[in-house]
Amino acid sequence: MRRFLVIAIPLATIILFLAVMLSGNYLKQPLGNNDDIPGLIDALIRDIQNEQWEIVGQKADELNKAWEKVVSRVQFSAERNEINNFNITLARLQGAILEKDRLSAIIELKEAYEHWSQLCR
Amino acid sequence: MNEGLVVLVRSIIAFFSLLIFTRIIGKEQISQLTFFDYVLGITIGSIAASLTTDLSSSAWPHWVGLITWAALGYLMEIVTLKWRYAAKVLEGEPVIVIMNGKIMENALKKAKYRISDILELMRNQGVFDPNEVDFAIIESNGQLSILKKAEHLPVTPKDMNIPVKNSGISTELIYDGILIEENLRQLNKDKNWLINELKAHGINDISEVFLVTLNPEGSIYIDKYDDRITKITDIGDYKGPF
Repeated sequence: MRRFLVIAIPLATIILFLAVMLSGNYLKQPLGNNDDIPGLIDALIRDIQNEQWEIVGQKADELNKAWEKVVSRVQFSAERNEINNFNITLARLQGAILEKDRLSAIIELKEAYEHWSQLCR
Repeated sequence: MNEGLVVLVRSIIAFFSLLIFTRIIGKEQISQLTFFDYVLGITIGSIAASLTTDLSSSAWPHWVGLITWAALGYLMEIVTLKWRYAAKVLEGEPVIVIMNGKIMENALKKAKYRISDILELMRNQGVFDPNEVDFAIIESNGQLSILKKAEHLPVTPKDMNIPVKNSGISTELIYDGILIEENLRQLNKDKNWLINELKAHGINDISEVFLVTLNPEGSIYIDKYDDRITKITDIGDYKGPF
């Protein structure tokens, strides 16, 4: 029994560590309500192209909240730079929406999608 | 992102990964390490440190680096165990630097040791006069082994034809007030025997004892918690508290 534990405990520990380090790619995907980042980005792009700025403002807030949820899940496996870059892109997006700047808003959303797809890879 | 929490979790990952990997790599003591083992240890430690605090990249690539270095270290160990020539190439060979009392200057140069280094290593071993040395060898771990000239070797009981008994290795019977019954059984003794021995030394209960050891010759060592020493020698220079 002791011999088994001497092997099993380190093995289980390593498996747990691997799960923590590699779970980010799974945890960044939508798992519940209001955490579908790519879905929200697509919806935002559609609404911006249709210039529905009131809905765009609401959806941008939803995107912010969804991002906070995802960050709390992936923080142990993600790199801080990608998280920071996504935060900066979101801030710039807010500015573009405030000024109803269609071009800049879409550029920021495309960049945000790229940061999301590079997260935990 | 809670950076403190992330560093805490990464520290746990790095600490236990390092512990597991170093246990797998080997049981060598620091004094047995070759120069390469030493560098390997520093590198693996450095990677573990980056894994802990470098949040600009994810933990995974650092961990891969850690396991790769540990695996290569383990591989080198296996290769040196199985293949003697590889061991000599990878770990180096012992070099004779004093032969028949003569210093081998070329060997010293090849090993990149100065004679002052050799004299220092000799002094570390209690040899202050090079005249006493017959052979000196720099081992692959950098330590100096010395064979003194016959006239400077200490007299042994065998030289004097004095009969001696082998004392063997002492085994702990009580450790920190707790009886280790397994060791008692190995020495073919029982608890009653031990209690009688303790009583003979004025001890009524096992919990009064800090350490009891017994060697195969039957010599028992007993240390109580209550040492009854009134004047304790203090070798410290300062009063403290520290």
